[in-house]
Amino acid sequence: MTVLAGIGFTAPWVLLGLLTLPILWLILRAVPPAPIRRMFPAVTLLLGLKDDESVSDRTPWWLLLLRMLAAAAIIIGLAGPVLNPSRDQAGTGPLMLVLDASWAGATRWSSTLDQIDAQLTEAGRAGRPVSILRLTEPEPPVFQAAEAWRNRLPGLVPNPWQPTEDQVDQVIAALDQVEGGFDTHWFSDRLGYENHPELVSELQSRGQVTVYRSNAAALALLPAVYQDGVIQLTALRAEPGPEESVTVLAHGRDPAGTARILQSAEMTFAAGETQAQIDLALPSELRARITRFELQGQRSAGAVTLTDDSLRRREVALIAGTLNREGLELLSPLHYLTQVLIPTADFVEGGLPEVLPANPDVIVLSDVAQISGPEEVALIEWVEQGGLLLRFAGPRMAASDLGRDEEDTLLPVRLRSGGRTVGGAMSWGESKTLAPFPEDSPFYGLPIPKDVTVSTQVMAQPDPNLADRVIASLSDGTPLVTRKALGLGQVVLFHVTADAEWSSLPLSGLFVEMLDRLAVASAAKSRQVAQLEGTTWEPVQIMDGFGALSDAGTLAGVDGVELVSGQIGPDLRPGLYESGKQKLARNVLSEETTLSLVAWPADVPIRGQEVSTETPLGGILLSFALILLTVDVIASLALSGRLGLAKATAVAMGAVLLVPEAQAQSPDETDFALAATHELVLAHVLTGDSQVDDIAQAGLRGLAQTLNYRTSVEPAAPIGVDLERDELAFFPLLYWPITQDQPRPSDEAYAKLNAYLRSGGMILFDTRDADIAGFGASSPNGRKLQQLAAPLNIPALEPIPNDHVLTRTFYLLQDFPGRYAGTDVWVEAAPLDAEQIEGMPFRNLNDNVTPVVIGGNDWAGAWAVDRNGQALLPVGRGYAGERQRELANRFGVNLVMHVLTGNYKSDQVHVPALLDRLGQ
Amino acid sequence: MNAALTLRQRSEAEASRLPPLLARAEHLAGTVLLGDHGRRRSGMGDDFWQYRPAQIGDSRRMIDHRRSARGDQQFVREREWQIAQSVMLWVDQGASMRFASDKALPSKADRARLLGLATAILLVRGGERVGLTGTTLPPRRGNAQIIRLAEAWSEDSEVDYAPPEHRAMIPHARAVFISDFLGPMDEVELALTKAADRGVRGVLLQVLDPGEETFPFAGRTIFESVGGTVRHETLKAGELRDRYLERLAARKDALTHLCRATGWQLGLHHTGDSAPSALLWLYRALDGGVQ
Repeated sequence: MTVLAGIGFTAPWVLLGLLTLPILWLILRAVPPAPIRRMFPAVTLLLGLKDDESVSDRTPWWLLLLRMLAAAAIIIGLAGPVLNPSRDQAGTGPLMLVLDASWAGATRWSSTLDQIDAQLTEAGRAGRPVSILRLTEPEPPVFQAAEAWRNRLPGLVPNPWQPTEDQVDQVIAALDQVEGGFDTHWFSDRLGYENHPELVSELQSRGQVTVYRSNAAALALLPAVYQDGVIQLTALRAEPGPEESVTVLAHGRDPAGTARILQSAEMTFAAGETQAQIDLALPSELRARITRFELQGQRSAGAVTLTDDSLRRREVALIAGTLNREGLELLSPLHYLTQVLIPTADFVEGGLPEVLPANPDVIVLSDVAQISGPEEVALIEWVEQGGLLLRFAGPRMAASDLGRDEEDTLLPVRLRSGGRTVGGAMSWGESKTLAPFPEDSPFYGLPIPKDVTVSTQVMAQPDPNLADRVIASLSDGTPLVTRKALGLGQVVLFHVTADAEWSSLPLSGLFVEMLDRLAVASAAKSRQVAQLEGTTWEPVQIMDGFGALSDAGTLAGVDGVELVSGQIGPDLRPGLYESGKQKLARNVLSEETTLSLVAWPADVPIRGQEVSTETPLGGILLSFALILLTVDVIASLALSGRLGLAKATAVAMGAVLLVPEAQAQSPDETDFALAATHELVLAHVLTGDSQVDDIAQAGLRGLAQTLNYRTSVEPAAPIGVDLERDELAFFPLLYWPITQDQPRPSDEAYAKLNAYLRSGGMILFDTRDADIAGFGASSPNGRKLQQLAAPLNIPALEPIPNDHVLTRTFYLLQDFPGRYAGTDVWVEAAPLDAEQIEGMPFRNLNDNVTPVVIGGNDWAGAWAVDRNGQALLPVGRGYAGERQRELANRFGVNLVMHVLTGNYKSDQVHVPALLDRLGQ
Repeated sequence: MNAALTLRQRSEAEASRLPPLLARAEHLAGTVLLGDHGRRRSGMGDDFWQYRPAQIGDSRRMIDHRRSARGDQQFVREREWQIAQSVMLWVDQGASMRFASDKALPSKADRARLLGLATAILLVRGGERVGLTGTTLPPRRGNAQIIRLAEAWSEDSEVDYAPPEHRAMIPHARAVFISDFLGPMDEVELALTKAADRGVRGVLLQVLDPGEETFPFAGRTIFESVGGTVRHETLKAGELRDRYLERLAARKDALTHLCRATGWQLGLHHTGDSAPSALLWLYRALDGGVQ
C-alpha cells in the first residue's frame, strides 16, 4: 500500500488518471450542451435564421469545474484511498491467531474481534493462510484463507471458563501435529492459567510470537455469602493498582414480575489492594427476590454471580394445636422445630387466617387435627399453588377421626385410630429404630444415627398407594414419614410428634438434615459436599462467556459433589441447577478463587489492543462524485432550457436519495391494518364511481348480515380498498365490480394483486351486465374486465361444473344469480385428470380455493341493504324476485365459506374410504 | 398472419375513428342554425313561388289543374329556384398538421378535420353538394357523402407539407381550404390563382397551434418538422423568437394579399380556441358568399 499524506492507496496507479483532467477540461469546454429535439411544424419559417455570433454557446466555467471535480473524485475514489492505513510489518508465511477466549476477555470482546478482523484483512492482503485457535475450546488448527475466517468471526465467542490444564495439553498436542513454522499473534486476556509457559515455549519454537493484550484486566465478583444477616460481596481485580471503585448491581424481579435492578452499591478497591468488599443489608423480602449480582460496566461471566436458595431465607409458619403454655418452653411442641429453623428461616407468626395471606413457603402444623372449613379450603389452595405443608402427629391427631374412613386432602395417608406405642413401660416390644432410606426417598444417603428411636407413632391404613407415599419408615416397615403431592405443592406427615415425647428424632442431627432435604430449611451451610452426595442436579439456565443466561436445553444432569467442587469447563457450565424444589447456583468463580496476572517471557513483544481502524474513503468519494454529477444533470438541464424536466428530475433524484426515510409506516397504515384485521372483514375494490362503490359497500354489508344470521362467520363492516394504497393481505375475499371508466391499476398494484392471489386470496369479478350481455368481450364492461385482468396470474377457467365445491360449501346450489340471473359463472378449471370415481358423488377436484370467480350477475346489487337492513335494489318481480335474492344470498354464503374453508366439503369424498379403514 | 386479416384489422381500427369524428362534427353542426337558400326567383325547386297564367310554349303538363279548375284561365304553378351549390373542401392531411404543443390541446389535423366535416354536414343539410377538390370525391349530396368525407379524412398523409389540391375544380363552385399554410407559399398561390381563373371563390382557414404563435422555446434546440424532412438547429432558441414572429406575420400578410387578389376570404383559428366560433365564421363566410 502506498501512503501519501496519511492516506494510503490500494491502487495508486489509478491516480495517473488525474493527468487526463486537463485534456478533459479542453474537450468539455469545447462541447456545447446537447441539443433538444423538438417537433415544430413552423420550422419552415425558421429556415435561414442565423444564430447571433456573439452568443457562442460554451459550457460555463462553473459547470466545467463541477465536472472536473466529479471526475477527480471518481479517479481518486477508484484508487482506493484508506485513512489510517495500518502500517504493521507484514510478515510472511502462515499466521496463527491464538485467543484465550475466556470470560476475562468478554468485556472487550468486540474490540478484540475488530483487531482480529484488521489482522485478517492484513493477512488477506498479504495472502497468508490463517488459523484461529481458541484455547477454551481447542480444535485442531487448520490454516485457511483469511476471508474464510472473516466469515466465521461472529461465531467466535468467549467461554465462561479459563483454559483448563487439559485443554492446554490438547492444544500443545495438536500443535505438534502441525508441520512447518508459523507466526503467532496471541490475544491475551491477561489472566494466567496452568501450563501457560509450556504453551508459550511451544509456540515460540515454531515462529515469532506477538502478544496483544487488553488494556485493563477484568474484574470479577465472588459468589455472594449470606452471613450474620447481611450479604457479603467481594470483587477481585488481577493487578493491584490505584484506588478504583466499581458499582455492583443486584438484579431481580419486582412483585409484578418485571426484571429490574433492586439495589446498587459502590465498592472500592483501595490502592494496592486486589479485593473490595461490601456488606448489603436487605430486608428478607427483597433478598429473596435477587437473582444475580453483577458489576456495572463489565460484560463477562466472571463479573456475574448467581444467587440460589442459599440467599433465601424461607418463611415458615409454625402452628401448634395447643397454645403455648407460659413458662414451659422446653415442652412446647414447636421448640425443636424453632431451634432447627432459626438460623435459616424467618418465622411468620399468627394463626392460619393471618398466616395464609403472607404466603409463607412452609406451614408447619404440629398436632393439629381440626381445621375449620374456609381455612381448609384456603390451605388446600395454598398447597396447590406450591406450598409445603408439614404436619406432625401427636395425641390430638391420634385421638381424632381425621383421615379415618377416607383420605383427608391435607394428609398423605389414611390413619388408624389410636396409634401405637412400642417400647414403652407397658409394652413388650423394643423402641423401633429407623430403616435405611429407600433410593427414591429424598432422604436417601443421609446417615442414620443408631440412637434415634421411636416409641409412639400414628399408624397408616394399608392402602394401595401407601407404599408410594412412604419416604421414611421404621425398621419394622411401618411408615415414619409419608408424603403426597397436591397440585404444585406437597403435604408431608411425620408420624411422630415434633417434640421429643414420641421419639428421639427431633433431638438428633438427622432431624435437621431431613428438614433440609425437604427444603423446609435451606442455607449456605447446607452445601456441604457430604450433603450433596448421591444427588443429581439438572441445569435450568446456563451462563455464557458474557454473563448472559440462556435455557439449558438438553444438557445432562450433574452429580451434586461434582457440581460444587468440580472445575468449571465444557462439562460443567456455570449456571443455575435444580434438584427437586431446591436450586443451586454454580458461578464461574468460587470463594477460593484468586486472579493472577499472566507472566510473559521477556522476549515476547507485547502490544496494546488499540485499533486504529482503517477508514476506506473510496465510497465517500464516489458518492461525492455521484452527488456532483446529479447537480451537473440539473444544472445542464437548466442551462439548456429544460427546466420543467429538470424539476421533475430533481424531484425524482430527491426521491431516490431520500427513499430510506420515506419507508416508515405511517399511523394511517397501522390504523388500516388494525381495522382490517380485528375481525374478519370483507372488502371491495374502489372503482372511483361513487354509485358503484356505494352499492358494493351496501352489498357486502348485506352479505355480512346474512352470514351473521345464518353461519358462524361474523364479519365486521366491509372496507373499500384502494388498490394503489392499501395492503390486500388482510382480506380473504375481494369483490371487484367492473366499471368502464375505472383506472387501470399501476404495476405495483398488480404486483400486490398477484401476490394476493398467490397467497390464497380470492377476487370476485362482477361485470354487472348480465341483463344486457352474455359474459365475454361482447359488452363494454367485459372488455374492460379483459383489460384489467390481463396482467393478473389467473389460471385456466371453466364455468362452474355441477360438482364444484362452491355448489355445496354451505347451501346446495346449482345456479348463482345476483340481480340478474345471467349465464355462466367462471372459476378455476378442474385439473385435466380429475375423474369421477365409481360410487363417489363428486370428482376429487382442486385442492385449493379458486383464485377468481368471474361473472356478471351484479351480486352486490342483490345483497345490498341499507342501514335498516332493507334491500336497496329491486330484484326481478314479485315472489320470484325474492327467491332470486335469496339464492344470491346463498351464493354469497357459499362463496365466503369456500374462501374460509377451502376444499373442506370436497374432502367428504373420502368419508367412505375413511369409514372403511376404521372398520365401521 | 395473412394480408386479409391485417387489412381487416386496420379497417376496423380506421372505422373505430369514424363515429367519434362524425358525432362530434354533427354535434358541432347542430350549434349553427340553418339559413334559407332560396334564390328569390322562380325556377327548379320544391317550394311554391307563384302562379302565373299559362303562356304559349308551356307544355300541358305544366298546368296546375287544381288552381286552373277554379276558373277559366289556366295557371302554371312556379317554384322557387333552389339550385344546389357545389362546395369543394380541401383539408390538409400533411404530417405538419399532426402537431399539438400541449397534451391538453387537440392536434391541428384533428381540429381541421372536425371543422371541415362539420361544415360539410351543415352544407349537406342545406341541400348543397359537398365534395373534395381533386378527382377522388366529386361533390354529391346526402348523408352518405358525409361518411365518405370522414373516411377520406381518416387517412394520414406522410407528406410533410401537403400542397393544396387544385385539380378538377368545378367552375364557379365554392371551395374551402383548411390548412396551417406553413408549407411553400407558391403552391398556395398557384392553387388560388387557378381557382380564381375558374371563377371559384371560397375561404382559406388557417389553423395554427398556440405554440406556433408564441414560440416558447429557449436553449440549444433542433427543430424538426413532424415528417422529419426539414430541420433547423439553433444554439439559442430564445434569441430567434422575435425574428420568427416577424416571419409568421409576413406569412399571414402574404395570405391576406393573396386572398384579396383572388376574392377569397381568410380566417385564422387557433387550436386553443373553441371550435364552434370557427365553424360559425366559416359558415357565415360561405353563406355570405353564396347569397
